[in-house]
Amino acid sequence: MKENHFKYIGRRVPRVDAPEKVTGTLKYMTDYHFEQMVWGKVLRSQYPYALIKSIDISRAQSLPGVICVLTHKDIPGFNGFGIVVPDQPVLAHDMVRCTGDAVALVAAETKEIAEHALSLIEVDYEPLAPVTDAEFAMSSKAPSLHENGNIHSHVIIKNGDMDAAFEEADVILENTFYSPRQMHAFIETEGGWGVLEADGMLTIRCPGQYAYRDRLQIARALAMNPARIRVISNPIGGAFGGKDEITVQIYLALLALHTGGRPVKIHLSREESVIAGIKRHPFKVQMKTAAKKDGTLLANQVRAVADTGAYASLGGAVIALAIEHCCGPYKIPNVDLEGFCVYTNNGISGAFRGFGVNQVCAAIETHMDMIAEKLGMDPIEIRKKNAYEKGDRSSIGHELKTSVGTLKTLEIAETCELWKNRETHKKDSSEPWKKRGIGVATSFHAVGMGIGLPDYGAATIELMPDGTFKVGVGCEDIGGGNGTVYAQVAAELLNCDIENITVIQGDTAQTLDSGTVTASRSTYTGGKAIAAAVPHMIRLLTEAASTLHKVEPEDILIGENEYYALTENGEQLLSYKDLYAHLQENRLPTKVEGHFMLPKEKEELPRSGGAPHHLYGYLTHLVLVEVDTFTGETEVLRVVSIPDAGQVLNPQGLEGQTEGGAVMGIGYTLYEDVLMDGGYHQTANFTNYIIPTIRETPLIETFPAESMEETGPFGAKGIGEVVMIPIIAAIMNAIYDAAGVRIKHLPATPERIYQAMKTGEVRQ
Amino acid sequence: MYVSDIDMLSPRSLQECLYLLENEKASFRLLAGGTDAVVRMKEGKWQHDCWLNLKNIDELKFIAIEKDEIHIGPLTTHQEIISSPLLRDHADVLVQACREVGAAQMQNMGTIGGNIGTASPAGDTIPALFVLGAIIELTSLTGKRHICAEDFFIGPGKTVAFPNEIITKISFKIRGKHDLGIFQKLGPRKAQSISIVNVAISLSMKEGTRECTGGRIAFGSVGPVVLRAKKCEAMLALGELSPDMIANISRVAWKEVMPISDIRASASYRRDMASALLERGLYRLMKRWADDERKPF
Repeated sequence: MKENHFKYIGRRVPRVDAPEKVTGTLKYMTDYHFEQMVWGKVLRSQYPYALIKSIDISRAQSLPGVICVLTHKDIPGFNGFGIVVPDQPVLAHDMVRCTGDAVALVAAETKEIAEHALSLIEVDYEPLAPVTDAEFAMSSKAPSLHENGNIHSHVIIKNGDMDAAFEEADVILENTFYSPRQMHAFIETEGGWGVLEADGMLTIRCPGQYAYRDRLQIARALAMNPARIRVISNPIGGAFGGKDEITVQIYLALLALHTGGRPVKIHLSREESVIAGIKRHPFKVQMKTAAKKDGTLLANQVRAVADTGAYASLGGAVIALAIEHCCGPYKIPNVDLEGFCVYTNNGISGAFRGFGVNQVCAAIETHMDMIAEKLGMDPIEIRKKNAYEKGDRSSIGHELKTSVGTLKTLEIAETCELWKNRETHKKDSSEPWKKRGIGVATSFHAVGMGIGLPDYGAATIELMPDGTFKVGVGCEDIGGGNGTVYAQVAAELLNCDIENITVIQGDTAQTLDSGTVTASRSTYTGGKAIAAAVPHMIRLLTEAASTLHKVEPEDILIGENEYYALTENGEQLLSYKDLYAHLQENRLPTKVEGHFMLPKEKEELPRSGGAPHHLYGYLTHLVLVEVDTFTGETEVLRVVSIPDAGQVLNPQGLEGQTEGGAVMGIGYTLYEDVLMDGGYHQTANFTNYIIPTIRETPLIETFPAESMEETGPFGAKGIGEVVMIPIIAAIMNAIYDAAGVRIKHLPATPERIYQAMKTGEVRQ
Repeated sequence: MYVSDIDMLSPRSLQECLYLLENEKASFRLLAGGTDAVVRMKEGKWQHDCWLNLKNIDELKFIAIEKDEIHIGPLTTHQEIISSPLLRDHADVLVQACREVGAAQMQNMGTIGGNIGTASPAGDTIPALFVLGAIIELTSLTGKRHICAEDFFIGPGKTVAFPNEIITKISFKIRGKHDLGIFQKLGPRKAQSISIVNVAISLSMKEGTRECTGGRIAFGSVGPVVLRAKKCEAMLALGELSPDMIANISRVAWKEVMPISDIRASASYRRDMASALLERGLYRLMKRWADDERKPF
């Protein structure tokens, strides 16, 4: 890290929430038990696709201990939710489209009674043949799962002359890649509390990624004034995109209206979370890439099909981002890219860290490796040759106006120990039948929402009676540590100790709407919003100080943790407490706001679904793997993560992201997949859903390539997603380097690697 | 019936426990470490009337050597087996198997008697008991039976034990001077996974040579019960355990197993892995034999 003159920015500031999380004293919302509480349960569909002919709740209602049983008939407002298109029923009415569909709700005195009551609800279904393959869903033979057919969205980006480019090419590669249905696997499954307060306010305490939007969706279903609903969405036991959409908030709200003011709790079991929770979109990516002899990329043709399951959620945006990113951070003059987001009866897919880029990066970065091999080029060299820089035109045809760190990350990769000594590392295998390999991949990820969506941040700063500042930002801390960054930014700019800052996040009663915690945007957005609020607070304090000592505002100096007034009697010290007392006595405001609009590109690429973005974070990964040729088991031994996050605000926080992201990427590449058969989940829980443990966690090194992003807070950009992206292809390339097999169907399980080795698809 | 309706009795002695099993009308299930019980209860299975909690029966917790036999009490935890110097000397294959059972929390709670009683085809300790030639003692109010580990299991979750019997001892012979064993497991990941295939191997070596005078091989997760690989075993003593010989023995392994396809792996991969794990295990054993004996081969 470079030296700077800041007290907190760029420093290894420990997370403000670390002590309570590490010691376990923090209570997540689903940890709470209230007096007089009741348990809520959700009846899920028995079939992946069926008509509902009738629902009889009478037996369930008459079970002793049952407080209420609700169906679609009990929804006062609009029976639907969904961030972009509200196509998912709150409670199914005449049809179910996946086994995660909610059909009825129960509140009861105990969880067991509630569960028993579910079994007494009689639903008369007429099962239909489920649509379980996205390609089939697109065909004319498939039944339409929604009014406008099964293709939820279709995005296209075209540039140049494909025919001429393929004609001119010296190397052409064509491959199909399949990716898994990854689960967020957060430590805290979906759940929370709802209570109708005595004054008629409805309070929903439920972890989420955008309290204000959750409130809107609840209000729409309840036909209730949103001002009468308070949503508290923080703290959160992990989200990763999986709590971006409504989880159980509306169920809690509906039940809370029927429990006579008693708080109602829902907490999904892991098994229910697997069935009802959203997942990462499984993709089929067909890619055809052309290059010249010298390694210059000429053309890329891509067709990507994403299985969004029964409902859209953010599927349309996921496929749009995938297509925007599917050529990598390169200058490819001729592209023909299209993506489909398709309805099936396979659960529900939605937002997940990486948001479609993971799936396409695996394809383009495998192709980069294969082209380099065919041409006898160094894999880093070929990437450097094709990488765009600021001011260049990208493959999708827009000019990059913000910082681009790809080249710098690749240069760091080239000079790091693992790459320089790669031949030595590869020879060093632990047993004779184990083969080692090293792989590299680079990628990028947009920061912010893109064209066509509101993208703004807001923060409040309030001076408290004890002389501390309460900083409120709507953006929740979903695990990434943005709360610590907010405290750092506020303390740095207010020139006070970080201990004087309390950060409040995710509470519609205490924070302003600041947009979602998605799209790698919350450090950037929240940081800028706080920076916008601070001058207002400084003016407030300066004016208070000047009034108190009857001097001009110019005679007020801002010290560390205090203000000074230059008076005729010399310097007079003013503490924050003194200033608060003055403001309070004179009934002057003690709270200020700051607002920030994210910069956007002006022109949308037609039919692209929101591309291009204005800002991107970049990252290069190197990995060392060892493949057991007896079994096909792969172990990742080392990871080097080289992020361009702009200026690093907190190196320790950045490492938290690069390490967590690397492990999540290892899981995606080697282990994780929710398996489905005929619309039913075959994977029930963590017995068979395999995520990496500490024993699968390698040495992970982080070498930031710091670019200066002029628009960001202290030069920072977002990094929360790209940290898990290139590692996927880097591992795939390293497996090839080790064992000579290209795995194009993830996860690269021991069985898939073994079969590839056995069937002789091995490099000669 | 609710899980919370299930009663629990906690006898203080083996005698009290056996009396309850014999005379109470309620349907019982024995509760040892509880690591499977928790899962089954969550799944809504095992809806019996009453748990018989064995936790307080201290007389079922022991690791002892008597003459040429090792005795292990059924309530001995995996962790206690792992940290027993006696078992490290005499039952390395069992110690290794216990290390592969679940996570540290599972090893601390789970017991060897529970692992046997649950009788999962993928249970990690069972192949180890097969190759150690373990004898399982069953006790009822009226007497004792001694069953060879290989005859104890009759199907997934099924054993020869009667409802009025409990496992009271696991015993096997101390190992010979030149015996060594290994447990090999293939799971979907290294830590905390259910076996796709596992194998326990024990060999008796001839001092100063690579010749094997005999041995046992048992595979787990490749059939309804753990299986001895007798064809492979017969080949162990055919000559020096050279790399070629090891490869030849392993090639036969797939014929000895009858795996199924499930969510974790296909039957054909499991068959291939039976050979692969045996081959890898024999290589590792021979390497250890060479290192231990410091003899050049």
